[in-house]
Amino acid sequence: MGYKKIFNVALGLTLMVTGVGASCVFASNPPPEGETGSVAVRLFLTEGAVPADDPNAAVWNTIEPAEFKLAPQVHWPDRIQEVTVKSVKVRGVHNGEDMAILLEYADPSEDAADAAAVEFMVGDKMAHFAHGQEMLQIEGGDVNIWYWKKEHGKATDMTAKGFKTLRPQENQDVSATGAWQDGTWRVVFSRSLQTGDALDVQVTPGEWRNVAFAFWDGEIVDGDVKEKGSQKAISSWWYLRAEPPPDNSIYGYVVLGIVLAAGFEFFLVRKIRRGNES
Amino acid sequence: MKGPLAKTAILLVGMYVFLKFILPLFTAPLPASLIFLYLALTFASAMIFYTMSGGSLDEFMGPVGRFLTGSGQAGIAGTARILVFVLFPLLVGWQTYTRLAPSDLPPAENRTIHPAPPGEFVGLANPYPRTPENIMMGKGLYAAFCSPCHGANFDGKGPAAVGFNPPPANFSDPGTIAQLQESYLFWRIKKGGVGLPVEAMPWKSAMPRWEVELPDEWIWKIIMGEYDGAGQSPRTWEEEE
Repeated sequence: MGYKKIFNVALGLTLMVTGVGASCVFASNPPPEGETGSVAVRLFLTEGAVPADDPNAAVWNTIEPAEFKLAPQVHWPDRIQEVTVKSVKVRGVHNGEDMAILLEYADPSEDAADAAAVEFMVGDKMAHFAHGQEMLQIEGGDVNIWYWKKEHGKATDMTAKGFKTLRPQENQDVSATGAWQDGTWRVVFSRSLQTGDALDVQVTPGEWRNVAFAFWDGEIVDGDVKEKGSQKAISSWWYLRAEPPPDNSIYGYVVLGIVLAAGFEFFLVRKIRRGNES
Repeated sequence: MKGPLAKTAILLVGMYVFLKFILPLFTAPLPASLIFLYLALTFASAMIFYTMSGGSLDEFMGPVGRFLTGSGQAGIAGTARILVFVLFPLLVGWQTYTRLAPSDLPPAENRTIHPAPPGEFVGLANPYPRTPENIMMGKGLYAAFCSPCHGANFDGKGPAAVGFNPPPANFSDPGTIAQLQESYLFWRIKKGGVGLPVEAMPWKSAMPRWEVELPDEWIWKIIMGEYDGAGQSPRTWEEEE
């Protein structure tokens, strides 16, 4: 065998072993899973209309929920130490145009002041989960809040960037419907994935968004509403993603990879054989 | 099994056994990626050694060439050869798929838990003496303002801790306040989560910015109460020298 050819063979083998070895090593070190509970809401891709105003639509029961624990809001005054809603189950669907998100949570009584909200970061700047409040070392962005209250019977599409800046938007794009039964609220929020409004979260299938939740128990205790304003059950940021449509081009690349690898083997063997003959 | 190829194989297996099983007896286990790097270096060294002269190269590559071309092979070696030729393209295909398949995992979070404090919070000493009265007052303030999240037992398991991501710090863990100076805690309590630099992801932290609600004196006393209650001591300058 000529040295050059042998060197080529050696190089080919090294690359082969290194590549396969590296793949196996990195495949055996998956990224760590989140702590207890879910870390993300998945909006499943469906065909046809999304159940935009029906919290009890049959399709919801076919979807595996994400579950998030909630804490009393102790981050800023007025605080609260004990809240009614302890956790929320979240389900979501989209059809490429519209999305619907169902929040399901336990609340023993149905009250006029019961309320629920979903919060999103808007745009590229990171925003603090507490109404996009000011951060000292980095410039934050806006948050988009979808707010539903039983007595209003509809959603309010809102914007905030810092405390006391929460305000309804000019363009109201969100709708919401709630249904209470046997100690459980089911509230469905819906909107189109894209609105073209710079104050709204724009949901692009395949891309991750930051999402947080808040709930108020509007029960009247001693003549006053139990949870209102900043006294609420909250989560900090979690993730949300609309499922992208299946991408079949992957299989093309897989076939290409197999063909290239087989071709490499063929030429390698031919090269060695010719080297042996010469 | 005297050929250079066999020697290389034995060397690699020996290296792997040493790095994976013997070395951890004396020190921390090595990450898989580092073991792989060492093995790759070992293999590369063997390659360099055997490609230095024509003779040794022939000796080294001979069995590989014979295996790949199938010359003079029968039985198990022949079957193994076919197996390698079929499996290698399939492996490449599988790797292509796993690399391109869309991931359902959210973005990885490389959050720095204890980022560097701003200059003005480095090396401040607690201006209040460590008297039983001050410690007692600090513990009282801790119970009122901090324990809902950080827990009455200083373990990060307060009733309000459960909903937050990241979770509140556990002060009884030797990896938290025991590794930090009092001035660091002063910064973290005073400026809260929103005072963190970008690498610590301030947008996720539920830690209040206590400077808007509590006087500095209370914060220093809370620090005292926290260390005492958690059974930890602050890291000091003397220890670092």
